[in-house]
Amino acid sequence: MEHPILEIDHLTHCFPSGGGILDISFQVFPKEFILVAGPNGCGKTTLIRHLNGLLLPSSGQILLHGKPVTSDITNARKTVGMVFQDADTQIVGDTVYDEVAFGPENLKMPRSLIQKKVTQTLEQLDLFHLKDRNPATLSGGEKRRLTIAGILVMDPEIIVLDEPFANMDYPSSLSLITTIRALHAGGRTIIMATHDLEEVITCATRMLILDRQGCLARDGRPGDLLLDLAAHGIKQPCFSRMGYGAPPWQT
Amino acid sequence: MADMNIFTFCPGVSALHRLDVRYKTALVCLVSLALLKAGFTGCFVCFLVLSWLVYTTRISFFLIAAQLKWFILLLGIMFITRSLTVPGTPLFSFFGLVFSQEGLRQGALVALRFFLVMITGLLFSATTRPADLKSAAQWYLHPIPFVPEKRVAIMISLFLRFLPLILTQAHQVSDAVNARCGNLNKNPVRRIRYLVLPLLKKIFLAGDSLCLAMDARCYNEDRTDPVFETGRNEMRFLAAGLCLCLAMVYPFHICVT
Repeated sequence: MEHPILEIDHLTHCFPSGGGILDISFQVFPKEFILVAGPNGCGKTTLIRHLNGLLLPSSGQILLHGKPVTSDITNARKTVGMVFQDADTQIVGDTVYDEVAFGPENLKMPRSLIQKKVTQTLEQLDLFHLKDRNPATLSGGEKRRLTIAGILVMDPEIIVLDEPFANMDYPSSLSLITTIRALHAGGRTIIMATHDLEEVITCATRMLILDRQGCLARDGRPGDLLLDLAAHGIKQPCFSRMGYGAPPWQT
Repeated sequence: MADMNIFTFCPGVSALHRLDVRYKTALVCLVSLALLKAGFTGCFVCFLVLSWLVYTTRISFFLIAAQLKWFILLLGIMFITRSLTVPGTPLFSFFGLVFSQEGLRQGALVALRFFLVMITGLLFSATTRPADLKSAAQWYLHPIPFVPEKRVAIMISLFLRFLPLILTQAHQVSDAVNARCGNLNKNPVRRIRYLVLPLLKKIFLAGDSLCLAMDARCYNEDRTDPVFETGRNEMRFLAAGLCLCLAMVYPFHICVT
């Protein structure tokens, strides 16, 4: 049996002002595509920020390849790449190239290797022709692809995306789904937090549903959980409500 | 946010674009200092050289004029003020205000010097990537003890990156206030309060998100050092710059003596 990359063991995080997550346990295996679904404020972002040590738990632990995340935080952040909800506040580079080079520079890679990896990543995400552009001048979809490039260049095993479709138009969403599917097909493990499943439910291999109290309510195959969504405050995908099968969203 | 302003880098392939940023910074300082001592002849020489450089970088003269229109207005006010306040041989009077010959001369010289310093700075910012500017700051600060040059460099970079974002957010807050007739409120303290508090909240939240995003990408101060590409071109530019500075300052001494 395959060993899990991540083991989340009785994870609890309480905020002083209330809310948080409560006693969550699950494992993440290689090549999974996991959706973390739940209504606003249920703790999706809190949960995923624990996966690379950006937040530390009140109790419980997270093991990365069998070792606590906190034992080597740099390795955890390199292995679990995170794309945040608001692209504008996470882009630090003055040009597209500099933005992608930021991570490898932090890892003190040699300049020649940085150049090679950045070029490869920009070509992979179809951003190379924009390499000298100011990120502020990019479209919403291009900015989102740039934020993915910024973590992909560090060669993570897991890519975590927090509400990636927020504030995106239809063509940008399509382009992003294509990118995410390609990354998953290329062997990456994907974890995506979202409250709107319409776009991605057909891509996912597993779904976790958090309830309003921040507990893990359900964990299973997306197709098996479709009828439970509304009860947990999550919009049921249109095809499911209308009684159809699950066609790929892009078609 | 995408519009050009005086802080915006304009991509290009000119010699000035390719010049090592450390030499470029030194040359800008040298020329600016020489301009403080330059007379009319020196300023004219500098003007010719700067015009040629602007031409080679393919930056539009009209764009520069448009960018500097308020600065040119300020120079005009400086020129008139000098003309009126410097004592000397009266040249003509206008509604009781006496313009002196020496005042006109000094006013024109000061305005010309400031104008050329501004053009020099604009050429520098238009041909220098902010990342290179950060690298130059890091390189110049490195020999100074007790100064964390890498931290200072990243702070410069973040300031340049986020200044336009903060201005955009200020516009958004202002629009949101005005959309609810906030512009009818004539009390300046209340107006500032309604603008500044939400803006500060937005800035701090954005700062918090930025810190998390930088942490998520393993940010630390022990990063890959910048690489500078220095060739013969840099020495040529430095020699030409020194000659220009001498040519600007030397006629001034002739005029004084």
